[in-house]
Amino acid sequence: MKKISLWEIFKIFFIIGLQLLGGGYVILPLLQKYIVEERNWMSEEELIDYFAVSQCIPGIIAGNISIFAGYKARKILGAISAITGLITPAFIAILILANILTTAVENQFVQNAFWGIRISVIILVLITIKDMWKKSVNTKFTYILYFVILSAFLFLEISPSIIIISAAIIALCHSKIIGGKNA
Amino acid sequence: MLKLYFLLYYEFLKIGAFAIGGGYAALPFLYYIQKQHQWFSIEELTNMIAVSNITPGPIGINMATYTGFTTAGILGSICATTAIMTIPFLIVIIIIKLFDKFKNLKEINDIFIGLRPAACALLTSIGLTLLYQTIKIENTIDYKALILFLILIIPFSFIKKNPLLIILAGALGGIIINSF
Repeated sequence: MKKISLWEIFKIFFIIGLQLLGGGYVILPLLQKYIVEERNWMSEEELIDYFAVSQCIPGIIAGNISIFAGYKARKILGAISAITGLITPAFIAILILANILTTAVENQFVQNAFWGIRISVIILVLITIKDMWKKSVNTKFTYILYFVILSAFLFLEISPSIIIISAAIIALCHSKIIGGKNA
Repeated sequence: MLKLYFLLYYEFLKIGAFAIGGGYAALPFLYYIQKQHQWFSIEELTNMIAVSNITPGPIGINMATYTGFTTAGILGSICATTAIMTIPFLIVIIIIKLFDKFKNLKEINDIFIGLRPAACALLTSIGLTLLYQTIKIENTIDYKALILFLILIIPFSFIKKNPLLIILAGALGGIIINSF
């Protein structure tokens, strides 16, 4: 396979960083589009795996997944290029805005636009769930696991990392007991 | 001056190491820094939370850049931003190396068969919570939000996914709907 250039990695993550408005979860649909579908640097399953793992380790979720993705493309240097590219737009934006931040936040147009973007983010999250669902929930065991975990998230106040770790343990026990019949 | 860079690096290194769960997990640490060092005021921190919603990038990184810049200039902002990413970077690299080593192990595959629905469920709960919080305000339904949501979700469920287009459509929709 042709070696991916570090500049290419930086550039793509810079573009992703620019579009990372409205919170870290927007990174998932962006990575799906730019990294999985258009460039094939990682598979859809790997993206979901890394998203799960990113929940359990310290750091910013969008940052952690980008390090994973960059590493997949070009090992350590790729990871550094990816994270640098991702945070550069944020960095520049804050430096430029540092003096006029308060005015910008109070502007009515800006507020209305970001009210709308909040709704876009919800739609992006919902569309991403649809793709993830197809790749991950396909047996009786995974159906049950999905709905049990979903209710745990919605109705109990348990930290995501604990739920993710429990899911790993349950899955391991399940395959030991059933012997991987469903796998 | 050198001491200030060191302090900045140290405080933001801690945030990077201990704030598990992304974005807002950094907030308690930022309040602590505020009390301890007075690099910024509570008011600035509140503004920063709002600003993080209108600039690209996660709040932890925005806050690191902003604090570093206001206390020690450009070099300070580079210092704080690098610090917050240092520990997660090392952890991710270690995990990915372990992954590569053990990925053919049956147990690892079994674990991921359970982790994928968990990740999907987590995202579902985030999506539903966001939707609920946006549409429902103090026992009444925010009809503007509901209308914009329906207008946007119908076409975008059918056409090929384009995150930027969805974000721009939302921004434009927000401006138009709120001017009535």
